[in-house]
Amino acid sequence: MQKNNPVLMTLLWILLSLATLFPIYWLFVISVKPAVDLFTTPSIILEKVYWANYAKVLTDTTLRRYMINSLIISSGNALLVTTLAFMACYALSRYNLAGKENIFFWTITNRMAPAAVFLLPFFLLFTQVFAIGDYKLYDTRIGMILLYCTFNLPFAIWTLRPTIDGIPRELDEAATVDGASTWQVIREVVFPLARPGLAVTLILTWVFAWNEFLLAATLTSFNARTITTGLSEYVTTTGTEWGTMASIAIITLIPALIVFTVVQRHIIAGLTFGAVKE
Amino acid sequence: MNVRLKFGAAALIAGLMASTVPAFADFWSDAGAKFKGVTLHGVTESTPPSNYIKDVLAPEFEKKTGIKVEIETTSWDQMYDKAIKDMEAKTGIYDMVYIEQDIIYAYLARNFLVDITKSLKDDPSLKAPDYDESHFTTFANYFKGENGDLFGVPMEAFIKIYLYRKDLFDDPKIKEAFKAKTGKDLAPAKTHEDYTQIAEFFTEYGKANGMDLWGTTAQAHTGHPASWYEFFESVAPTFGVYNWGIDAKNNYAASVANGGTMNSDKSKAALKYWLHLRDIAPPESAASTWTEVASTFAAGRAAQGLVYGENAAWIASDADKSKVVNNVGVALPPVSDGVMADAESGKGYIGYYDGGAFGLPVTSKNKEAALLFLQYIGQDSVQSGWAVAAPRITNTATYEDPGVKDMDAKLGGYYTMLKNDGKLFAGAPPYPFHAQVREATAPIFYRILTGEVGPDEGLDQMADTAEKELKNLGYRK
Amino acid sequence: MGSNRTGWLLLAPTLIILGGFGIVPFIYVLWVSFHQWNPFGANPAMIYNGADNFRRLVFDTEFLQSVWFTMQFGFFAVVSEIVIGYLLAQLLMRDFPGKSIFRTIHTLPLIVAPIVVGSVWRLMTTPSIGIIPYYLNHWFGYQMNIGSSATAAFVTTVVMDIWHWTPLVTLTLLAAIVGLPKDPFEQAQIDGANRWQIFWHITLPMIRPAILATVFIRLMDALRTVDEIWMLTGGGPGAATRYVGLHIWKIVFPKTDYGYGSAISVIVLYLTLVMCWLLYVGLVAPRVKRST
Repeated sequence: MQKNNPVLMTLLWILLSLATLFPIYWLFVISVKPAVDLFTTPSIILEKVYWANYAKVLTDTTLRRYMINSLIISSGNALLVTTLAFMACYALSRYNLAGKENIFFWTITNRMAPAAVFLLPFFLLFTQVFAIGDYKLYDTRIGMILLYCTFNLPFAIWTLRPTIDGIPRELDEAATVDGASTWQVIREVVFPLARPGLAVTLILTWVFAWNEFLLAATLTSFNARTITTGLSEYVTTTGTEWGTMASIAIITLIPALIVFTVVQRHIIAGLTFGAVKE
Repeated sequence: MNVRLKFGAAALIAGLMASTVPAFADFWSDAGAKFKGVTLHGVTESTPPSNYIKDVLAPEFEKKTGIKVEIETTSWDQMYDKAIKDMEAKTGIYDMVYIEQDIIYAYLARNFLVDITKSLKDDPSLKAPDYDESHFTTFANYFKGENGDLFGVPMEAFIKIYLYRKDLFDDPKIKEAFKAKTGKDLAPAKTHEDYTQIAEFFTEYGKANGMDLWGTTAQAHTGHPASWYEFFESVAPTFGVYNWGIDAKNNYAASVANGGTMNSDKSKAALKYWLHLRDIAPPESAASTWTEVASTFAAGRAAQGLVYGENAAWIASDADKSKVVNNVGVALPPVSDGVMADAESGKGYIGYYDGGAFGLPVTSKNKEAALLFLQYIGQDSVQSGWAVAAPRITNTATYEDPGVKDMDAKLGGYYTMLKNDGKLFAGAPPYPFHAQVREATAPIFYRILTGEVGPDEGLDQMADTAEKELKNLGYRK
Repeated sequence: MGSNRTGWLLLAPTLIILGGFGIVPFIYVLWVSFHQWNPFGANPAMIYNGADNFRRLVFDTEFLQSVWFTMQFGFFAVVSEIVIGYLLAQLLMRDFPGKSIFRTIHTLPLIVAPIVVGSVWRLMTTPSIGIIPYYLNHWFGYQMNIGSSATAAFVTTVVMDIWHWTPLVTLTLLAAIVGLPKDPFEQAQIDGANRWQIFWHITLPMIRPAILATVFIRLMDALRTVDEIWMLTGGGPGAATRYVGLHIWKIVFPKTDYGYGSAISVIVLYLTLVMCWLLYVGLVAPRVKRST
């Protein structure tokens, strides 16, 4: 492999990490300052820590509910989307379907729509069309999981397609000759090879769902409200409660970080596999 | 920490329960019996007064009547959008919606709201004994329809006032310097000239002494309607330009050519006056909404300024948020000749009286139960606890409360001013097209602020755009 | 390979969901775009007005300006993200101490919600008291004011976007590079190719689909971004950062001009589509031709 100076590399990454971390550090600084200290000459170093924002946030049961909703919605959506996209990409890659390249391109157009205007039809769909008796998709987690497919599914299909295309067809064919069914080929041949791509897709779709704001703000109200919409509650006409908002934001980083660490392992799994493949 | 907080909350609730008149408990349980199992849904902004409804009044009501109340708090922009979509699509999600004074006319024009006065007359069994419409302050007038009936129960009201730093204004050294420089005594300004002079003095004083101090605040964000509001609701009226310079009686004319005043000489003078103040205000003013203006003042960076009343309270009393606690004075905004007389006779006004109410959408599926709740929050007996927890007054019964009087002293007489001079202020003009015309003209206003367009030319363009938009909306023939 | 029926079956759930939640709302928006409809107009009903909305927007300087600013924003942000993201992905392919920690740190910005990102950057750039303007002034004497300088605001939005979304590019490209076979590289090294030649002739063609997918995603997301900009500048100063997503938001939410807002959305969707189609044809079509 290429020449490599570990000291230089580490230094470079430390610098990069500082740049990456600074805004997050600043978010933390905001969260542990009383409001009165936010509008004064700034100092990079924290002199005293003020925990009242956290005390307020951690005892709030509503926020806990929002957080659980967010976890369920984004995990449910990421899993659903990754599975469906995996299936779809396999179909697009391996079968000679009529107009498949057009279908492939069409999927991405679903992500292009500017959200603001589409809120109205979504609202009507969720309250009046997709309703059975009193059951409506409005303000349900399942509704949000399905809705987030509109922007996540195209993304997943587009990021996964190169991965699946890159897996040599000969491997599938060999397995088929050995008598494997389509399902077995997908599970035992393609899946392991696609793991890094699947992991990245899972992480990123999870992130998009976790961060989504406009759709959730309009289409949920009491039951399925997510944490990002909870955050926006602190922007009011009486002033924005930066400290409270920041402390919630810091707390929400924790579950996200856990999900990230767990899933990222599979990218490494891919790395080792690459070595074996030689 | 955890335990202490919970205990505190429990004590607060217990205290409030004790203060509500127990004799009326019967009415609530009887009236509520019919609606057992009903859940009411409301949407409001996440402000202290609304949070008091959510955290204290709603649970109390639930206990007494058995009617469950869920209050959804959202950000300012979201709240309207959600309520409007619900009422427009006739979904019936909400039984109560927060209506700010500036949107009520749009809702009334669309018949979105239930006539509360009439509904209570038609079904006296729903009328609560401790609820009396006539006890509301004059602010309630903004929520009345053409027939004089009430369409929203007022829940918060504030005036945008002139705040100044008592410590600076009373400092003998500063007073002397001011006298030496201007030949006048340093006192809160009554005219625009005085205000400008004081602002210039303090900005120079701050610079000369190496202090982070400027002479005035300015809510002059270059991309947020806050700046538009400051000009049209707080500055232009003090120059005698009322109702945004649009003449509703004259085919909604905005431009001088058609009989409006949006681009009148007075309006242009007002804008130049305010732009000058913006230039000598702290540098953050170009990115300041009401949030930052309040923070700027609370951080002690401005000697005086126009600040919304809802912020005045915490600036003057909350040491966690403000450095100028106990040093805040309140005064009426400076005005041009004749404006005070206009305001006293009801022809004009000197500043903004804002606030909101809870209304009942006609699409609600639980109107009777919602009427009960609206009366519950409008009762005399719940007002004082609410006023202390979240400084707002909408009911005349509140002024005499000892807790409120205490607070009044701390706020430099803000409540007294609200009581005596509230009538000099006015809410948004009764336009059903409030947000539409604002958004149509705001981009030009932002360009004036960045200097891309001159103030005179800019106001001409705005008047023109306003008329075009009004024509497009079908109001201007 | 297996029968096409299996293929369609695998594709079916995707088509059904995207059809129900994608096509149906689009048809509705298209229908609204041919109407004048403002629920707070003198006449709150929907009135069919043919192509008036579309005619109006051709001469709407505010809209055209917004599209132009958005394109600039998209261009600078996406190009920087792709270049930086690619370099970082390559760096992550090497071995060095603490690699996994650095990789995790690098992905952290992704998990901060856009509305929070906007808030933090707003507080960091508040004129005179935000930490960035403060130190720029302190060290270089530069007065940064995102409330009055269009350039400062534009650059801040671009930098914020780069900070927030480069990790996405790094991750997707990393996944693509990881999946590459090793043989061509070794062969090239044996043949004495230099780094640039390897990149240009081997790496780039092989990861082109992944780069394309990433460019698409980032481009269309940049074109419809709302929350971050809304928090940071509100679209100001003037209209300098009133990008098209925010522009539409302002027309549809506070102004409730559903008819005109829908027309603009349809056009923006169309423009995005054309742009992406050109990219797609330009970059993918030659590859397909060559491989057949």
